[in-house]
Amino acid sequence: MDALIHLGNGFLQVLQPANLLVLCIGLVLGMLVAVLPGLTLVMGVVLALPFTYTMELLPAIILLTAMYVSGTYGGAFTAILFRIPGEPIDVPLLWDGYTMARQGQPAKALGWTLFAALGGGLITTLVMVLASGPVAKFALTFSSPEYFAIIIFGLASVVSLGGGSITNAAISLMLGLLIATVGVDSIYGAERFAFGVSFLQDGIEYLLVMVGAYGLGEVFTRMEKGFAGDGTTADTDRRISTEFPTLAEMLRLKMTFLRSSLVGIVVGIIPGAGATVASFVAYGAEGQYGKRGKELGSGIAEGIVAPQTAATSSVGGAMIPLLTMGIPGSGATAIILGAFLLHGMQPGPQVFVTSGPFVYAVFASIFLGVIGMCIIGYFAIKPLVKVLELPEAVVSAFVVLFCFIGAFAARNNLSDLYVIMGFGILGYLFEKFDFPIAPMVLGVILGPLAESSFMTMMVSHGNDWTVLMGRPISATVMVLAVIALVYPIQRQLRERTRRNGT
Amino acid sequence: MLNRLLRAAPYLVVQLAAIYLYQVAGRIEFPAAPGRIGPDFWPKSILVLLGLVCVYEIIKNLLIGETFTAAGLLEKLMKDSGANAGEEKLRSYPLLLVSGIVLTIIYVVTIDKLGFFLATIAYLALFMVIGRYRRWGVIAIASVLGALGLMFIFMKVVYVSLPLGVEPFSAVSLWLLATMGVH
Repeated sequence: MDALIHLGNGFLQVLQPANLLVLCIGLVLGMLVAVLPGLTLVMGVVLALPFTYTMELLPAIILLTAMYVSGTYGGAFTAILFRIPGEPIDVPLLWDGYTMARQGQPAKALGWTLFAALGGGLITTLVMVLASGPVAKFALTFSSPEYFAIIIFGLASVVSLGGGSITNAAISLMLGLLIATVGVDSIYGAERFAFGVSFLQDGIEYLLVMVGAYGLGEVFTRMEKGFAGDGTTADTDRRISTEFPTLAEMLRLKMTFLRSSLVGIVVGIIPGAGATVASFVAYGAEGQYGKRGKELGSGIAEGIVAPQTAATSSVGGAMIPLLTMGIPGSGATAIILGAFLLHGMQPGPQVFVTSGPFVYAVFASIFLGVIGMCIIGYFAIKPLVKVLELPEAVVSAFVVLFCFIGAFAARNNLSDLYVIMGFGILGYLFEKFDFPIAPMVLGVILGPLAESSFMTMMVSHGNDWTVLMGRPISATVMVLAVIALVYPIQRQLRERTRRNGT
Repeated sequence: MLNRLLRAAPYLVVQLAAIYLYQVAGRIEFPAAPGRIGPDFWPKSILVLLGLVCVYEIIKNLLIGETFTAAGLLEKLMKDSGANAGEEKLRSYPLLLVSGIVLTIIYVVTIDKLGFFLATIAYLALFMVIGRYRRWGVIAIASVLGALGLMFIFMKVVYVSLPLGVEPFSAVSLWLLATMGVH
């Protein structure tokens, strides 16, 4: 009952004109970054972060979460209409969405996408509202071993579920954890890896790592590929409309919808997986368990509904560990966590006790955001796809500037520009040598939390690390972490042996 | 052999860095308390793990010549779907990349002297030209209006104190600020 009252108050807060305006801006920006090839959703959220420095916490989080929600939907337009996936999330939409459009039904394909985004978004919001409170209450019983085990599980799943090879992801993660140790340590006050350089003594802000590696690194990578000269050659002037599926058609796909929502929420909860994995896994699950699984790829509605529903559903899933335990489930939620920390709030189980109304206002904003993005998607699709015409070199020049201003504005320190330049080059090298960036970023963000839980655990339990295996929750989570790391390696080795044998 | 060495090169670099940093971690000064682990324990543990992973990759790539590598789930899904197939065929422009990086470094070095406005106009225009964009009118308008717009948004609306530069360049920044009503 309290939750409902809080949620009602949350809606009232979000419906205030200033917050509503921020929500709409966030939704449009999210769609724009998702449409523009060369600007990823995570990059977009990173670039929006400096605008939130002077905002109150609530509008800041509304802006970033709105971008996150609508970013899972916007790229569908260009994937379906022009075979240009704005995000990796949208790749599965090429197989049935674009095929359906080529069969003369682009409006219907867009209608199915809208239905999937709206349904998936609403279901995930509902689950998030219902589940977060109990999860937070449960998390209140955790002490340092449980927290440490959960962080280790999070980091292990980032390594095993992400891009790149597992060993490269592990190296990226450990570099991130090392970067987090630079500066004066919080327990002993000892200086670590500062080499007498004054700005290193303050530590390396995770914001600089994110902006440099995601923003500048991506620009350098695309620059090496030569940028697309004058934007797209796709015909963005043609008539574009959205045709809703009928109720009977929707009901026919109820199992696809429910299955994909579940996949999206579960994958979203697992740290490191995110919307792209959700989208691919849901498409795969549809192929395996769907009634028309064998027809996937021939332009059927199931092939659109499954990935889009899962992608949007993953948002709510990823917000649950972020809000209840302070553990980000994806790149975008890592940046949202950054916004929380910049405004002096550490998400976690205590937040529900100390700032319950605030959390429910965030939930309300996601709920309204899902509806808002569908309305914007329905009416503003044509101007949105027009941004494809923007030349990549021009967009990238401004992306670099936003990176620099964002890095500079955090501390008004010009030295930070050199730091993000360094991380930009590192980000490029990572891309070049197939090292994923996300584990490094999550390592930098979760490193201090991991170290403090580890140190507290060791102090409280007489330097006995086996306490991790002596407590039911931490032991279970540690076993899951080992499975998360070992299972994919073992499975791929088995596949390889089988292939070599045949 | 050269191929093997090239494949192992990134891991060799990281391994050497890890060995060096382990030695640095051994020199961290702190008031040791009996029976308690110090602030060097955590970074040393990470460095040991990092070293082990690198040793595995070096042995695999350099000594055994094995190319198999277990991929993360997302990597595997993308590979199996053929989503990245087109990317490998793209041409590479290393000169463009080097020019872009050098230009960006020059921007970082000079922004303090030239001030945000002048440095940004030059940077935007040159970046677009280096990025092979050739519509000169668009370049000129986007550079000037972009620099002005960003200066207005960040100094007037978001209250970020962007660099004004040194004399005589600061005079331009100060005049612009006065025109915008920023004091």
